[in-house]
Amino acid sequence: MKTNVNVAEWVSLFEAIGLSESVMHQWHEIFESRHPDGHQGFLEWMELGENDILRIRKSSREQSW
Amino acid sequence: MDYSISQLARDFGLSRSTLLYYDRIGLLKPSARAANGYRRYGQREFERLQRICRYRELGLSLKDILRTLSTGKRPSAKVLRERLEEVEQRIRDLERHQQLLKRMLHKLEDDRGLVDVDKDLWVEMLRVAGMDEAAMERWHVEFEKRAPEGHAAFLKTLGIPAAERKRIRDWSRCGGKAGR
Repeated sequence: MKTNVNVAEWVSLFEAIGLSESVMHQWHEIFESRHPDGHQGFLEWMELGENDILRIRKSSREQSW
Repeated sequence: MDYSISQLARDFGLSRSTLLYYDRIGLLKPSARAANGYRRYGQREFERLQRICRYRELGLSLKDILRTLSTGKRPSAKVLRERLEEVEQRIRDLERHQQLLKRMLHKLEDDRGLVDVDKDLWVEMLRVAGMDEAAMERWHVEFEKRAPEGHAAFLKTLGIPAAERKRIRDWSRCGGKAGR
């Protein structure tokens, strides 16, 4: 039984309801700044590797907007 | 037909050292020695080894096998009964391990929660992404359509109670709340 949702599935789910890539990136930035532990937990739930999690969290801390 | 120790070992999938050991304890002695001192085994030894292997598969000890073969009879009822009890005990142990492993695995899967994300936080984060009630509804519908098990698991990790999870999934399958 497949219970976890991988990153690609997750992204296409949000794209399907009309979220753009830039909105998703902003979303990570806000998630990281407001709830760093929650952000970490969410990325772990998607079964991302340790390095990917570090990379995403790092890029989320660099304000780009 | 006559066999060298290596041929016999290969035929039965045993190592040479096993056969040397069987020789040493008197379980399987070669029928003869070649001029160069090499062990030779005949048809009788071949058949004896077949019986030895069959008894080993049943888990009989070498000692019991030796006793059985030296009397020329089948293994005694006592030996078989003891072995049967051992096997039954082992099955019970394995069944206990099976149950324990299943329970541990279920627990582990249940605990695969978003450690620090609950429903309120998640809703807050969806609003941040510009999603209103209608968009969240569409999100559930899409999630249920694409990955029903993932949807169920995700709702559970957010700490949403079972009854509410069921309600959400029911209207998700109907294409939204209005579809109920």
